[in-house]
Amino acid sequence: MNKISIPIGPQHPLLKEPLTMNIDISGERVLGGTLRLGYVHRGIERLAQQKTYVQNVHLIERICGICSHVHTTTFCHAVETLLGIDVPIRAQYIRALMCELERVHSHLLWLGIIAKHVGLDTIFMHTWHDRELALDIMEEVSGGRVSHAANQIGGVRFDLSQEQEAMIRKTVNDLSDKANTLMDVIENEPVLQARTKGVAPLSAETIKNYCVVGPVARASGVDVDMRRDHPPPPYDRLTFNVITRQDGDAWARTVVRAEETRETLKLCHTILDEMPDGPVSVRAPRKVPEGEVVVRSEAPRGELLYYLRSDGSENPARLKVRTPTLPALNLIPKQLSAIHVADIPVVMAGVDLCIACADR
Amino acid sequence: MVMIDQKTLQKEINNVIDSDFEIYPGIQGDHTICIPSVQLKNVIVMMMDKFDCRHLSGITAQIRSENQDVIEVLYHFWIGSSFSLMIKLPKHAPKLAEITSILPGADFYEREVAEMFGVEFIGREEIPPLLLPDDWDQGPPFI
Repeated sequence: MNKISIPIGPQHPLLKEPLTMNIDISGERVLGGTLRLGYVHRGIERLAQQKTYVQNVHLIERICGICSHVHTTTFCHAVETLLGIDVPIRAQYIRALMCELERVHSHLLWLGIIAKHVGLDTIFMHTWHDRELALDIMEEVSGGRVSHAANQIGGVRFDLSQEQEAMIRKTVNDLSDKANTLMDVIENEPVLQARTKGVAPLSAETIKNYCVVGPVARASGVDVDMRRDHPPPPYDRLTFNVITRQDGDAWARTVVRAEETRETLKLCHTILDEMPDGPVSVRAPRKVPEGEVVVRSEAPRGELLYYLRSDGSENPARLKVRTPTLPALNLIPKQLSAIHVADIPVVMAGVDLCIACADR
Repeated sequence: MVMIDQKTLQKEINNVIDSDFEIYPGIQGDHTICIPSVQLKNVIVMMMDKFDCRHLSGITAQIRSENQDVIEVLYHFWIGSSFSLMIKLPKHAPKLAEITSILPGADFYEREVAEMFGVEFIGREEIPPLLLPDDWDQGPPFI
């Protein structure tokens, strides 16, 4: 049968974000493909060099519309390390709480997308409804559902009142019940299993060779989580389980994210239980002393790396951001070979693409 | 979780490059060593073979204002702790061995460095644009 090359994107109904792909097919079989980034490249690393550190907190937040908070948390942690500032412990816990709520809504968003792609609209509707509850909390405490502007260099912009803490606990309890129900549905839904079990399996060897991180790596048995392995504060004081599976297929990636949602909600309770009273920010100078730092954190999609160099001025001399989606995107052409055309959306969604993060 | 002893790793790197490397103490939270650019691939092959070290977190390129004739390239590894290889290239002819053939995860990282800093990765075919527009004709943006 003849080979046909299908261009997809940069804007296409299949895609949630702009990405350019060329997929080669022969009949119903996919032969391979290539992809190209850049449609939403904003030159953020270069732009950051022209902004002050204070301005950069807001610029960095706009790298991503899903995991915006972990970006600013990681950036602020890098700047604070160079400044030698001790961020108040309560501020560290509020940051972590926001990071974990971000993980919950990111995973629920992904679970909805995978359900949609396999034709389970009810699960899609429910997960996206539940995701709103996490966003409600973030809006209540920060004022923003997507860009929260929670962080500032030296701490966070707001404290949590007792009423807010009570609301968060109640909503997290509700979400935990819903996450348990979702897990039951996932484990007993034959259509989901039929469409994901054995689809696009990734061995641990492949994961390591492609430097893939986060839930995709953990679904293939590669046990890596920067919250445990290289814990930024306050994760060095928190205990939680890292969820892994061995199968490496689309099913394992689904189960890991669903399980991780439940574990993350437990962690939200732990954070609230252990959060001490106290101030939530300290004053930070505008100029950062000369120095360089590498920091890592665990974004919803995996390890996030920031390299920051200061020349002693108000602006960074170099800021490098390696987002977790980038290595996962590199893997997609390999995953596309020898699958059915109907499985393209499942494979594409499986790695939890975030093009805005990858493009920067 | 992979944990590699830094001292053992450094000893093996010394054996590969057949001379003492320079430790760069400037990066907080990271153990950084400078190696000659010609030894990069040999060092990474050794790290992969002897330590199963394949967790390349990213590649950073930069030009320091105090040394504008040099492009500095950092290979950020995770070995149970943060570890980077630093390579210095002349800005007028920045060439470096590719490692994508041995570690496919380096593909996008190398493409980005090639595009943004004009570094030529020896052993790779012509690198198509990754982030910049197809008709970009103003040279590497960071140069």
